[in-house]
Order: sequence, then C-alpha cells, then structure tokens
Amino acid sequence: MAMVGLQRAGKRYGDVVALHEVDLSVEEGEFVTLLGPSGSGKTTMLNLIAGMIAPTTGQIFIAGKDATNTPPNKRGLGMVFQNYALMPHMTIFENVAFPLRVRKTPEEEIKKKVAHVLNLVHLPQVANRKPRELSGGQQQRVALARCIVYNPTIILMDEPLGALDKKLREQMQLELKRIHTELKITMLYVTHDQEEALTMSDRIVLLNDGRIEQMGPPEEMYFKPRSVFAADFLGSSNIWDATIESDGGATIKSGDKVKIKSEAFAKPGAKAKIMVRPENINVIRQGDDESRFENRVSGKAIDTLILGGVIKHYVQLANDTVIISQELTRSGRRSLTPGQDVRLAWRPDDTLPLPATGKMEG
Amino acid sequence: MGGGEKPVGAAMNPWGIFSTTVAWFILLFLMLPSFVVVPMSFGGKFEMMFPPTTFDTILYERFFSTGNWIATTITSFKVAIGATVLALLLGVPAAYGIVRGTYPGKKIVALFLLSPILVPVIVLALGMYLYLASFKATGTDFGLIIAHGVLTTPFVIVTCMAGLRHIDPNLETAATIMGASVMQTFFKVTLPLLKSAMFAGGLFAFLMSFDEVVVAFFITEASTMTLPVKMYSSIKWEISPILAAISSLLTFLSLVVCLIGAAAQKKS
Repeated sequence: MAMVGLQRAGKRYGDVVALHEVDLSVEEGEFVTLLGPSGSGKTTMLNLIAGMIAPTTGQIFIAGKDATNTPPNKRGLGMVFQNYALMPHMTIFENVAFPLRVRKTPEEEIKKKVAHVLNLVHLPQVANRKPRELSGGQQQRVALARCIVYNPTIILMDEPLGALDKKLREQMQLELKRIHTELKITMLYVTHDQEEALTMSDRIVLLNDGRIEQMGPPEEMYFKPRSVFAADFLGSSNIWDATIESDGGATIKSGDKVKIKSEAFAKPGAKAKIMVRPENINVIRQGDDESRFENRVSGKAIDTLILGGVIKHYVQLANDTVIISQELTRSGRRSLTPGQDVRLAWRPDDTLPLPATGKMEG
Repeated sequence: MGGGEKPVGAAMNPWGIFSTTVAWFILLFLMLPSFVVVPMSFGGKFEMMFPPTTFDTILYERFFSTGNWIATTITSFKVAIGATVLALLLGVPAAYGIVRGTYPGKKIVALFLLSPILVPVIVLALGMYLYLASFKATGTDFGLIIAHGVLTTPFVIVTCMAGLRHIDPNLETAATIMGASVMQTFFKVTLPLLKSAMFAGGLFAFLMSFDEVVVAFFITEASTMTLPVKMYSSIKWEISPILAAISSLLTFLSLVVCLIGAAAQKKS
C-alpha cells in the first residue's frame, strides 16, 4: 500500500511556481530520496506532505486516505530536521517521551518504549542528559528515536545529516540504513547530496526547477540518465556536443567518431549530447591492449589529480574538448606529465546519447 | 573569545585606561545622589543632613511602626503584583501573535500594542483618569492595576518578542508534527523556553509599577495611595527625614530585584 501519495499536487506563491503538479507514491517500507539542487522544490514537497503548507492544486494521500486538509498534528507522520530540533528544556528521556505523552500513553509503557528505542539507536546511557550535552551525531540519533517511538506512517527527513562532518555523515548513513532495514520503516529523505542519495535510497526522485526530472532506483539513475541534467547531477560525467551519424555512431565536438548505445531518439543528423562516466574511460599505457575498447581518442595531458582512493586525468582533445578519466589509485600507477600524448579508450556501451535539451521519453 | 581572555596589549593601552576612568566617573556622578540618601537615612530624628552627625536607625523604626506608611506600602505591592500579572497575561500572547503570526496588518497591530510607550505619560494618565472615572473605578486598587497594566504591558511584549525570536520555530513545528495541538505546543514547548524572558519582563513590569508616580497620582485617593504618591505628597507638606529611609529601602528593593533577575538569567 502506498504510505504517502501526491496526486497532481502543486504549489505556487503568486506568480512563482515552487512545485509544478507532481505525482509520487511511496510504498510501505520504501526508502525514497528527494534529490535536487536548492530551489528545485524538494522542501516544498516535504512540507506539503507534512502539512506545513497547503497545496494550490491536487491532493495528498497518507496511508490511503485523502489528507489534503488534515492538520499536521493529525497526520501521524514523523520528521527529522537538519538542526535536530530537540527540546532544549527537556532531558533526552522527556524528548523521546514527548510524542507518547501527547498521545496519553500510560507511564509504564512510555518507560518501556523510550528505553527500547534509545537502545535501538545505541544511546541507552544518555536518557538523563540534556540535548546540548550531546554531540551532533548523538542528537540526530535521538531525533530519530523520537520518531521511531510512536511508529509513524512515514518518517520525513529534511537533510538530516547536513550539519555533520564527512566521516560522521558516512557513519550515520549506514546507521540510518540499518535502522530502516531492521524496522522496515517507510522513509522519505531530502538531500542535495547525490552520493548520499545513491548510497541509501531504494528509489531516487530527482527534482529540477519544481518538476520531477526522473525517478528510479539508484543504479538506473546512475547508468541510465534520461537528460543532461540527470547525468550531470548524479555522479560526474563527460558530456560533449555531438551529431548522430548515419551508421548509428556519433561525431563529438573534438571531431572524433565514436560508437554509441542505440537510443530511439538518436536519428541520423540529430544534434545530441554524448555522456561517458570518467571511470569508464581508460588511459592506455604501454603494453595495454586497447583493441577491446572500440572507442579510442588521442589527446594531450593537462593535469592529474590524486583524490585519495581515485586519480583523475584531464586530457585535452581537439576543438577545446576536455575529457576526464578516472582510475583507482595504485602505487606505481604514474601521473601524466602535462603536455604528454595520451591514448584514451572506452566501450560503446558506456557511451550514452542524450537529447541536447529536455529529456528522453519512456 | 571565551574565557575572559584579553587581546594582546589591551592592558597597556593608555586610551583604554583613560576611557575606563572617565566611564567610572560618569557612573559615580550619576549614582552618587542615590547613595547619599543611604547614610542620611541613618542620621537622627530631625535632620536631613550629609554627612550625618549621628548614627541611628530611628527613621526605619518610624517607617515600620507608622500604620499609614505600611498601608501604602502594602497597596503598592498589591498594585505592582496585580499589574505584573495583568501585563504577563496580556503581553505573552500578544508577543506570540506578533512574532509567530502570519496575517495582514501585523505591523500595525504591533505598533498599536506598543503605543503606550510612545504616548506621553501625562496624556496617558489623564486619559486613564477620565476613562476610569466613567466606570467609577478611580481611587480603587483595581483601577490603578488596570492603568499600570496598560503602562507595563508593552515592556513585557518587547522582552517576550526578543525571547521568542531566540526560540527555533522548528521546535514548534517538530512538536506539531509529533501530534501536539496548538495549545500543547504553546504550553509544553514555547512557554517553558520563554520562561527567562517572561521573568525579566515581569520583574521590569513590577518595578515600573512600584515606583510609578504620575498615573498613580491621578488615579489614587488618600485611602488608596501608593508609596511613591505618598512620598510625593508628604514632601509637599513636610520634609520628613523618614523619606530618606524609604528611599533607601526602595533602592535596596530595586537592587535585590535586579540581582534576582541577573541570577535567573545566568541560570537559564
């Protein structure tokens, strides 16, 4: 059953459209991420579901019932905020007990439930402390416990890890994922961080300018983007202007001819964009067999950057075209000397044609 | 820069020493008249002199043993407490409406509610007198509580508005989404977090009402006089040295109230 559904729900403020009419349905136990740059409408969507703002058009369903006009305190949702929003005047115990007290749960049950969820987030020892005595990561775990404790239909999360540093963020991603899998809670997660979206989601909803650009499982979003925006926003990519040839290949801006994956829209003569992920582009070194890659180009090295686990090569092709290749860092794998001649090669399967503007249908 | 650290060279700066000294002298100049009263209050029965020639607590004994003075003091306390309660009851919800509300004309409502600060006190006093007279409420404690409530409410509104602006609205949103009604959110989240602002505003309202003269002079009668009004009228008829003792006590009261306020601020 769909736990949350939007049906042609849209929001405008005067002439400004914050969210065009969108449809979305989140299934029970699903982890759905709303991903997009700031101003793309993801927070508007979240607030529509939470009931903090009313839609201009369309309807909102929660647990199968029309909740368009239900006030936020009657929707039975949970929400985790970026700044935690724990009550500073209450102890951790009282914070977690708050939603139960509002529901007039008996005291005995409150004690049991609070202890249980604090265990679940690995914080049984902090019950008597005040929020300000806890670290950011701990506070966010308490905020999550405060939601889990009353078993809401869905937990909404508004960039919950945005205020944490990188290491802690990665740790919390795993923690959230563990709790989601263990309890099978339905979660709707808002972020502008594509890596976070790829790591955690069952399904990603990519928003752009108040519209849903594309949605699907992370793999599909990454490997089969349907627009330049999607290709560019998720992961890094090489994107070049190109013309589709009569033999089904394409000539990219540098003048090189490459073979591409066939797509219905890519008719001969059409202007298109060609996208290749940097990790699919191989630097051909002496002794490497380049014959297994059908697409090959030559250029001059611009620079090499070592980013810890991966290494990025920037190579200049003809006609001001730059190509980025990404490899795993290995000891003995040498950087390219600026100006040196480089051969690069990749497979046609990794060469995706995209419409020059807008997105592919289907 | 925490921990009271001083920037390098701050202690040596001659301008710093100069301006600090000037500031202290100005403070002393402003405070001296109040402190002169204190030694005077321990002088003898018939003199109001500085420095006093004798040490005596007779003036205090007089104050505490004169029924008239005690009665006015009690009236003052009654009125000040009443006005404080009234100001809090009106001011806290008003501040909430101004800060959190989203309705057209909010600025005008705010300006209207704060207007007693802008109107000259004497105009307010006259208006209050005429208004309360039409209800036959002049000369009653109740009337004065109403008048002082009008006078002090804006100050409670201002402190509570500042307090509310410091409370993260997400806390209220979180409470609402967790299922709390508007009332539950207000009483369990907003109000506890507003406590120190309310306390500060309340203390301020109390002190303002307690030593207010102009409005009280218009509205009270001989039987319902407050302490400042009685002091003023007694200075007109006879310059009783007992006033020095009362002044000292009032100064002491203000000091205590301010210290309590500061302590409460520190605790929160």
